[in-house]
Amino acid sequence: MNLINTLIAGVSIGAIYSLIAFALILVWRSTRVVNFAQAGQAAFSTYIGLSIEKALDNFWLALIGAIIAGLVVGAFVEVVIVRFIVKRATSAATATVAPVIAMLGLLGIFQGVMGLIWGGEYQAYPTAFSRDGISINGTQIPFSQNDLFVLLTVVVAMSIAALIFQKTSLGLAMRAAAFAPEVTRLSGIRVSRIRTLGWAFAGGVGGLAGVLVAPTTFIAPNSFDLLLVFGFTAAVIGGLDSLIGGVLGGLALGIGLSVVTGYLGGSYTFMTAFVLLIVVLLIRPQGILGARGARRA
Amino acid sequence: MLAVRSSHKPSSTKRLLLATVIGVALFIGSNFVDEYRIFQGAQIAAYLVGIISIVLLTGYSGQITLGQGAFMAVGAYSAAIVVQEFGLPIWITFFIAVLAAALFGAIIGISAGRLSGPYLAGATLAFAVGIPALANAIPILGGEQGLSFDIGYAPGKYADTVSPYKWLFWICALCAIIAVVVAVNLTSSGLGRQWRAVRAHETAAALCGINPARSKVLAFTVSSGFAGLAGVSFSATVGLVSPSGFTLALSFLLLTGAILGGISHISGALGGAIIVVIIPTIFESWTEEASLGVATYLPGIIVSALLLLSIALAPEGPTEALHKLRHRKSKSH
Repeated sequence: MNLINTLIAGVSIGAIYSLIAFALILVWRSTRVVNFAQAGQAAFSTYIGLSIEKALDNFWLALIGAIIAGLVVGAFVEVVIVRFIVKRATSAATATVAPVIAMLGLLGIFQGVMGLIWGGEYQAYPTAFSRDGISINGTQIPFSQNDLFVLLTVVVAMSIAALIFQKTSLGLAMRAAAFAPEVTRLSGIRVSRIRTLGWAFAGGVGGLAGVLVAPTTFIAPNSFDLLLVFGFTAAVIGGLDSLIGGVLGGLALGIGLSVVTGYLGGSYTFMTAFVLLIVVLLIRPQGILGARGARRA
Repeated sequence: MLAVRSSHKPSSTKRLLLATVIGVALFIGSNFVDEYRIFQGAQIAAYLVGIISIVLLTGYSGQITLGQGAFMAVGAYSAAIVVQEFGLPIWITFFIAVLAAALFGAIIGISAGRLSGPYLAGATLAFAVGIPALANAIPILGGEQGLSFDIGYAPGKYADTVSPYKWLFWICALCAIIAVVVAVNLTSSGLGRQWRAVRAHETAAALCGINPARSKVLAFTVSSGFAGLAGVSFSATVGLVSPSGFTLALSFLLLTGAILGGISHISGALGGAIIVVIIPTIFESWTEEASLGVATYLPGIIVSALLLLSIALAPEGPTEALHKLRHRKSKSH
């Protein structure tokens, strides 16, 4: 019973890692940039959500507000900064280094601006659901209504994403632009616009993840740094090129870390994630689901 | 082009002479400035060594690192433990810090040397986030409070006449000068050429008989040794080795300094170190009347914006950009 409890607790946090991994992979596929500023974008969107929550006292409006803020910020980042950096970086000897550093600079700007606007203290983020464990036959399990809400929301969000990617022409265009940008451009699709859309989607997903995780982690300008590292680990486990891989990687990481935390103690959580990241990178850099010989950048 | 430029560089004896002259100048000069400036000088010296460690790894060997603060932490913690557990004199701890960090860098390099691009960035980022957390978890490292690391007073009869800050500055500046000399000699040696060759084209370098994997691991080891020295200098300025000293922000700040000064040459490191130390203090005096929040966050925003601008406009650093600009001008005439 204890093991089952640990596993279901891991699923809920793993679902949030999946969202971050999804956002990172979406951007990586379209632009070949790992968006380390995602932690800042997500926190920024969550702060917008918190402001709406404080003004209107409505959790759902805040959730929608945070997602929209994430969409806008994501698109803004791509149009104003990334496009320029990527264009410039291809010619320089620092081509692989430049985008990463640019994203870090962006993260620094985000965190500074958030500190200016909302201050540096950790703030509580309210949730619409109880965070106490659900009781089954009188025994309380470590899975709350809020966890259930998180899990369901992630499932719904991922289903919508899957529908868009598999069933709409927009999704087809996005997959094509990620797979072969030149050919896609020749087919009359505006790849740059599709790319902006990818960044916007990723930003929206990040905003959603922020609102879902903030009741547990609280919100501060840098409170999502660790989430970013876990999301990146999840993305790498799944292979940086596979959206489904990233989602599964997030779930696997959440469950794995939950087991370690449950049986060995919280101080080993991070070490486990780090060792896992290194081991996966060394043994299967293309990820669990990635095709053999996939791009190693 | 690189080979041509390096042939104009002075010989190592000339470099040593130059370093000695600079050292003596700093030694004499430190008697004519106020205590706060001296302390800033010590900070700049500590950052300088940290930035050199990044320039060696990223600029020369082409391996990005977002976690240099972690290697600094390894050096600083091993120094503090040696003082606390064995009571060894302070000057030995500097060597121990370098060795411990280099050993650690070798171990990390064996695995990280096989990674590239965003994978390496992510792994070193995880490393930077993880080491402070790890320091909290291991009891001997003193938890959140950390370990004290006090380099004390000047020895013997000088203890009364030499202020603690001046003593601190002399030690840090000496470390920095040694680091610069070693780094410059290294990069103009065969090893430095190997690193640049591997960075430029791994396969071509391998065809010339260089072992790229070995060269990368070596770069990690050497760079970590420098980072260890930076860590112990940095801790000496703070007087403390604690997890809060080696945050992700420190790693980012060092990387920012390395980029702003110019990642592809050791010569830029001093400029980078001065920028990252001076900018926050400039804003402290400017924003005294403004709210506390502005004083806390504006420097970070400015430095990050500078980083973004510099990577967008001059990805190889200002010196390289100027060089190119001059080159283009002379061509058009």
